[in-house]
Amino acid sequence: MNIYYNVKAQWAAYGAIFLLLAVVPMIVSDSFLLNQFATYGVFGMLALSLSLCWGFGGILNLGQGIPFGLGAYGMAMTMQMQTQDASNPMPPFMLNNSLDHLPMLWEPFRSTTFGIILALVVPTLFCLLFGGLMFRARVSGPFFAIMTLAMLSAWGTLILDVQPYTNGANGITPPAPLKLGELIVDPYSPEAYWSVLALLFVATVGAKLMTQSRFGLVVQAVRGDAERVRFLGYNVAGYETTVYTIAGFIAAVAGCCWVVLTQYVSPSQFDTTFSLSMVIWAGIGGRLSLIWSIIGAFLIQGAQSYLGDTFLSTWLLVLGGFFILVVRFLPKGIAGLVETILGRLSTRQKRNGADVAAHRLLSQPGE
Amino acid sequence: MAVGSFFGSFDLSSFINALILGISIASIWLIAALGLTIIYGTAGVINMAHGEFIMLGAYSSYMLQSYFGLPFFLCVPAAFVIVGAIGLVLERGLIRYLYKRPLDTLLATFGVSLVLMQGVRLIFGSDPKYIAVPPMFTSNFQFGFVNISAFRVIVLAITIALVVALWALFYRTRFGVQVRAVMQDKEMAASFGINSDRIYMLTFAVGAGLAGIAGSLFGVLNIVLPTMGAGYVVQAFLVVVVGGGTLAGSVVAGGATGELQSIFAYFTNDTFARFVLYVLIVVFLRIRPQGLFAPSAKRR
Repeated sequence: MNIYYNVKAQWAAYGAIFLLLAVVPMIVSDSFLLNQFATYGVFGMLALSLSLCWGFGGILNLGQGIPFGLGAYGMAMTMQMQTQDASNPMPPFMLNNSLDHLPMLWEPFRSTTFGIILALVVPTLFCLLFGGLMFRARVSGPFFAIMTLAMLSAWGTLILDVQPYTNGANGITPPAPLKLGELIVDPYSPEAYWSVLALLFVATVGAKLMTQSRFGLVVQAVRGDAERVRFLGYNVAGYETTVYTIAGFIAAVAGCCWVVLTQYVSPSQFDTTFSLSMVIWAGIGGRLSLIWSIIGAFLIQGAQSYLGDTFLSTWLLVLGGFFILVVRFLPKGIAGLVETILGRLSTRQKRNGADVAAHRLLSQPGE
Repeated sequence: MAVGSFFGSFDLSSFINALILGISIASIWLIAALGLTIIYGTAGVINMAHGEFIMLGAYSSYMLQSYFGLPFFLCVPAAFVIVGAIGLVLERGLIRYLYKRPLDTLLATFGVSLVLMQGVRLIFGSDPKYIAVPPMFTSNFQFGFVNISAFRVIVLAITIALVVALWALFYRTRFGVQVRAVMQDKEMAASFGINSDRIYMLTFAVGAGLAGIAGSLFGVLNIVLPTMGAGYVVQAFLVVVVGGGTLAGSVVAGGATGELQSIFAYFTNDTFARFVLYVLIVVFLRIRPQGLFAPSAKRR
């Protein structure tokens, strides 16, 4: 029996990885570095959401930047409004764009609680609406991917365009860290890192439990053959919309965390390159495995930060070439490689391939 | 600019100008989408590197013009040949292994687009390049109150010529019959002795070549940059998706989207018009998910 499929071993691996990540602040004392690691946690959440949507749901989503960016803008607006008071009710960039009063769009963000709720609810509702529209029309596969890409660029241009409300290409730079009641969230503190990690942990455990549930089985069946599941009487569009929306919600949470950590948001969160790089993380790590998608994000973003300076001009070349090789030869990413190696080890021990073959039914490469 | 005041400022002559500009925008969208249409329509490959093929077309024209002094109108067919050859190499080296995995063609070609973009940046640098055209094409035509630049008329003429040529290729030649047979049923076509592998290879090369032509024209309309392709690929995909992957569908979809974009832009502005258009396309797909003219062939 391949230990890769052993659920207990999987949980043990998850626990070990998160424990390892949790002790990082005790080793790293450089607060700048810690902040950077915390942003990797945000990227991990994005990779997780994509693995859920694409790996388990079979819905390739090139527009994960939409819920991420909307969540980020919501959070940035909330944080910006925290620094405004009665004597100075408007963010400075609005005055520069010659607005004479706070736009209606910004009014709800005066309240921190309401602002954060909006930052999470609006992207989720968008995913529900857009996913519902598309999946009920049975738009799927590459067509859905293209439509998410189009939606992404539409949002990007819209946010660039309404400069008085969003500060256009400059983005929003909240001048002070987030205040939750009396608590000031210092983005460079270990607590911020642990909070992001805890959110990532909760999201991962939730996603993992979901994939093992009855719901998760149906979603994986939809990935395998949507038509057959439909003929069995399941509401395929409902399942697809749900999984797409959950992924969107996780991305919105990631967006909020991102702004808390970096105190910055700009339309570049809506760039196609950013959304596609999430696909690369999940693709190289292994989209069929939640944890490997997260590790993929860590590996690639880490490599980009540390090798990027050395290979500044060739980094995209290396990344693109590596991605082509992974798609061509390792459709399941590094996780697939690990799976094969562990499989080889166990068959050498037991010479019993029947179990492995039975488990292969669940996860098939590249459809 | 202001949405509310357009009745006051409505001006028939400038509106007609906007409609004519719409035809020009439509021809640009269509010429960008032609190559994608035949690649998607025939082989079902989602070619994310299409925008970079367009960019390569612009750079090959630039290179031929500034290093070898080739006149512009020879650069256009030369771009077809060069980018077509690059497409051929790509198809043989990578795409042909992925025909059974359409989502993976999308991913792999995205990797290709990264490599091409960065490769061009390494060779030519990231500063903008310009393609010169004979001075008579930089002037503006003026018919009464209608005003349009000469080069946009040329783009329109080339687009029409290419559509007619493609129509003739697909519906009047032996190769076209083979392509349509493979499109409808690959196995059945194979049993009649059609080499579908060769058909896929040639259509991919022709599609890439068409992107090359588009690129050499866009290089004149805009500046030539390594990142220029990204802007065109989404538009081109939308035309293909709305049209349903057939040539006629792309022509109608290109025309409709270009015209709508221009009309919306007349009432609001360019970026907002694009947003409205994209939302409309999403709603449209809710009603007709198969696109305007979906082929009645069996599903792949």
